[in-house]
Amino acid sequence: MGPILGVTLKGIEAIPIDIEVEITGGLFVISVVGLPDAAVREARERVRAALRSNGIQLRGRIALNLAPADLPKVGSLLDLPMAVGLAMESGAVRVGETALFLGELAMDGRLRTTKGAVPAALLARKMEIPLFLPPGNAREVALVKGVKAFAPPDLKSLLAHLRGECRIPPVTESSAEMEDKVIEPDLADIKGQAAAKRALEIAAAGHHNLLLMGSPGSGKTLLARALRGILPPLSDEERLETLLVKSTLGIPAKPDRTRPYRVVHHTASAIALCGGGTTLRPGEISLAHRGVLFLDEFPEFHRDLLEALRQPLEDGIITVSRASGSVTYPARVLLVCACNPCPCGYWGDPVEPCRCSAHTLEKYRNRLSGPILDRIDLHVSVPRLTPEELVCLEGRQGPSSREIREKVTAARKIQQERWKAQGFGCNAEIPERLVRSGLCLSRKVRPFLMEAVRGLRLSGRGISRVLKVARTIADLRGDLEVSVEDVCEALAYRGGGNPIDGA
Amino acid sequence: MDHLETGRLGEALAERFFRAKGWTILGRNIRVRGGEIDLVAMDGPELVLIEVRTRSIGKILPAEETVGPRKLKALVRSGRIYVDRCRWQGPWRIDLLGINLDEEGHPRFSHLPDITVGRVQV
Repeated sequence: MGPILGVTLKGIEAIPIDIEVEITGGLFVISVVGLPDAAVREARERVRAALRSNGIQLRGRIALNLAPADLPKVGSLLDLPMAVGLAMESGAVRVGETALFLGELAMDGRLRTTKGAVPAALLARKMEIPLFLPPGNAREVALVKGVKAFAPPDLKSLLAHLRGECRIPPVTESSAEMEDKVIEPDLADIKGQAAAKRALEIAAAGHHNLLLMGSPGSGKTLLARALRGILPPLSDEERLETLLVKSTLGIPAKPDRTRPYRVVHHTASAIALCGGGTTLRPGEISLAHRGVLFLDEFPEFHRDLLEALRQPLEDGIITVSRASGSVTYPARVLLVCACNPCPCGYWGDPVEPCRCSAHTLEKYRNRLSGPILDRIDLHVSVPRLTPEELVCLEGRQGPSSREIREKVTAARKIQQERWKAQGFGCNAEIPERLVRSGLCLSRKVRPFLMEAVRGLRLSGRGISRVLKVARTIADLRGDLEVSVEDVCEALAYRGGGNPIDGA
Repeated sequence: MDHLETGRLGEALAERFFRAKGWTILGRNIRVRGGEIDLVAMDGPELVLIEVRTRSIGKILPAEETVGPRKLKALVRSGRIYVDRCRWQGPWRIDLLGINLDEEGHPRFSHLPDITVGRVQV
């Protein structure tokens, strides 16, 4: 392997690319081989101009080989290693120690921010080599521990550094903290809806999926938004995972520990949601990894779109296979869905009569498939408030988002401590082999559960999900053992096969 | 002064111009199959083939703008034949020197180095 390495992205993974340069006599021409895409081929002009503005005049016939030759190279992030390779071959600089270079070049030699800095940083850490990257990417890479990274502002200072004429200071690691900002709307500002607020708390604490069902204007969307304010902060590992997905799309990293919150409109395509496309990019479900994926007006989504969510909801990863290859993206989301109970919206409302015919009602219900609803742990109805509640209730209602967040964070900490040895961090991820162990199902609870399963005709997955939710409820209380009451509450959140029938 | 005389004058001026820059002049008006190279010089380690264009006052286009894609292709073709013939192994390039003569016959030089960069697909 040569001393100059670049990277190309395959999914969220960075693959090292060896840059080989040959300069022979002849009329000036640069040819790039090794399956470059249009952006890599066009790098010739950027690289030539950037080197020229640093006083390096390229001459003769130049061949650039990007190895491995059969792997397609994508994007402008190979500009910098190509330029350094050419500078070395034309004798302007010597690179002794193997290093990883990443960045897009401006014509005058400045380094432009690119995508892929975090995967590259992980690769550099694994290979134990230094990484040179644009200053615009320094902030995200600073969050990766144990990387020797340098962020020169331009090619000139990079070359000076490699020549040993001056030293660029390495990027200093930073560990951002949770900003204690109030996210609107605050739970205390939402009138009534005590049951739904409790369900939000449980969902946030254990990363359980949630369905909010209610009439128009009852506050489903508002509640879903308020969930943002009570999510526990990302752990170091989780934050790295979210950074990784963002970095492959070139989305700048926020230096805090706020969980992702993605709202998807029901006109979204399957590729936008699940990832894919000609250049294989992660979808919304991967951007919401370790955070919330909110699907408002759930039944309006295309059926195949919802079915596509089934496998990632179960596995926490999504594998996108195309002719150009297959990649796996992380996809462990807290799914929040909101829907009306029927097309007119007033089915089950105590005041307003429902105007739907039996046929339209049936059609509407059929859009929500059993398998997807089975994967949602918490089914909550959000009733319309009475006139008294709407007008007369004044001031703050119940605990504020901050108080709930503290409670949720404490419960999440308990989970992380307990499951650390098993390699996961929250109750939603408990594997099958542990779900029926003493940690989730005590001897005392067994007979009660048996009775409940018989009465409610729960599926195998249903039992597992109920037990996971019950575990979270116990953790919110700070109790080691899951009680009958906890299981009881968890069962209450679990509708029948169709939540509408159960409402 | 007819156009041939103008051309010869221009080549003489060009030779002086490049000598003043410190280049070594290797030849003038070298005929190759299908064309002619006005001036051949060494710029440091690089062999330079120079196309000289001279124009007197009254023409609409300045001299350096009269080389189009067809002429450029012909220059590259002649250049290859020449470089091959003299067995030159190192890098080479094609420069353009435009000379515009004013009313009193004073030249104004405009030197465009490496005119094939980014233009000719090889």
